[in-house]
Amino acid sequence: MLGRLTADFNALIASVAGELAEHRRAEVEVKALNSGLETRVADRTEELEAANRDLEAANRELEAANRDLEAANRDLEAFSYTVAHDLRAPLRAIDGFADILLSEHAAELSSAGIGHLGRVRDAASRMQELIRDLLEFSRVSRAELQRRPVDLRPLVERAVATLLAEAPDRAVKVTIGALPPCSGDEALLEQMIDNLLSNAWKFTKDEPGASVEVGSEVVAGLPTYFVRDNGVGFNPTYAEKIFEVFQRAHSTEAFPGTGIGLASVKRIILRHGGHVWAESQLGQGATFRFSIGGEAE
Amino acid sequence: VNGGSRILLVDDSQSDVELTLHALNADPVVTRVDVARDGAEALEFIFCAGRYEGRSLLDGPDLVLLDLKLPLVDGFEVLRAVRSDARTASLPVTILSSSGEERDVVESYRLGANSYVVKPTEFRQLATALQLLSSYWLRLNKPARRAFA
Repeated sequence: MLGRLTADFNALIASVAGELAEHRRAEVEVKALNSGLETRVADRTEELEAANRDLEAANRELEAANRDLEAANRDLEAFSYTVAHDLRAPLRAIDGFADILLSEHAAELSSAGIGHLGRVRDAASRMQELIRDLLEFSRVSRAELQRRPVDLRPLVERAVATLLAEAPDRAVKVTIGALPPCSGDEALLEQMIDNLLSNAWKFTKDEPGASVEVGSEVVAGLPTYFVRDNGVGFNPTYAEKIFEVFQRAHSTEAFPGTGIGLASVKRIILRHGGHVWAESQLGQGATFRFSIGGEAE
Repeated sequence: VNGGSRILLVDDSQSDVELTLHALNADPVVTRVDVARDGAEALEFIFCAGRYEGRSLLDGPDLVLLDLKLPLVDGFEVLRAVRSDARTASLPVTILSSSGEERDVVESYRLGANSYVVKPTEFRQLATALQLLSSYWLRLNKPARRAFA
């Protein structure tokens, strides 16, 4: 009996000892796990902090870039202001005194001299156009976009009326199709319509049966508007290039202009989040298509 | 009429002054043109002070053609001073500036300009604009002869 008791006791002790050892092992494991976890937490925290620092640095860089951009914008504004004021005064002097020479001192000038003065005046007038169009380009680039529902039809009709009044001797067949309403800045869109229509007008000047068509098609659920003419057209290789500032598909002698109008058109459309592109073949007219994005710039 | 039609031209550009005078010389409506080359001189002239101390306010001008970008005192300051003095509060002031910037136009009217004309770059157009201005402001328009109370 005693022997059994002893054996049981010993077994109990052994089992307790075993459990204790097990427990200790587990404790050690938990501790190891814990310390591993702590290390990982510390590591992750450090990583996160580093990421945060990077983000903050990136943010500061972005803010600095933003400030630079704002400063650049202010510079640009100051620049166009200077162009408007300070370049125009000497230009007025060139044109003015050449004009006075021609109108009041013509008798003292040779015919060659009169011819040269005429060239001076022509150049002054060309420079005046360049300044005007550059200013317009700068204005459409920085003017605040005020989005409202816009009906393009009256804008087209006004532009056509102006063009007809400016060249009453020209017979241009104008067709205006359905123009679904859009959302945009009316003043800027009017400027764009003016530019596209005067382009169509200009490049059909040698076409006896000149026709200009304005209309729209639905492409991928969005209205896409077009201005189509049957004028000289252009080489499709330059379909993108003609939207760049100072790029022209024809010589100034053949078709006067500054090469800024279409750049303004593109700028206005991009600011509206839309697209503009041109399709043409030399001698077969041109079609300018544009969509006006739904979201403000 | 109170001594004819006198214009004060305020402009710092020598060539603009010469061209403007050339155009106004041919205008029978205009009897006299005085020129101020900066805003400070314009104020001295209008208020008969400093260089123009001997002048009388009764001697006009009947119309001020005012450029905006001027040395020393700019056009806005001149306009503000003219409008805040009862003696000149109703004096016709036309802004004649190269700037067509909306903020300049708005600010000019806010300060009480009577008219705003963007100075044309072409001389012929400038001459036409000046002729229209003188015939409107010096012939057609009826000015207040007495100072504001």
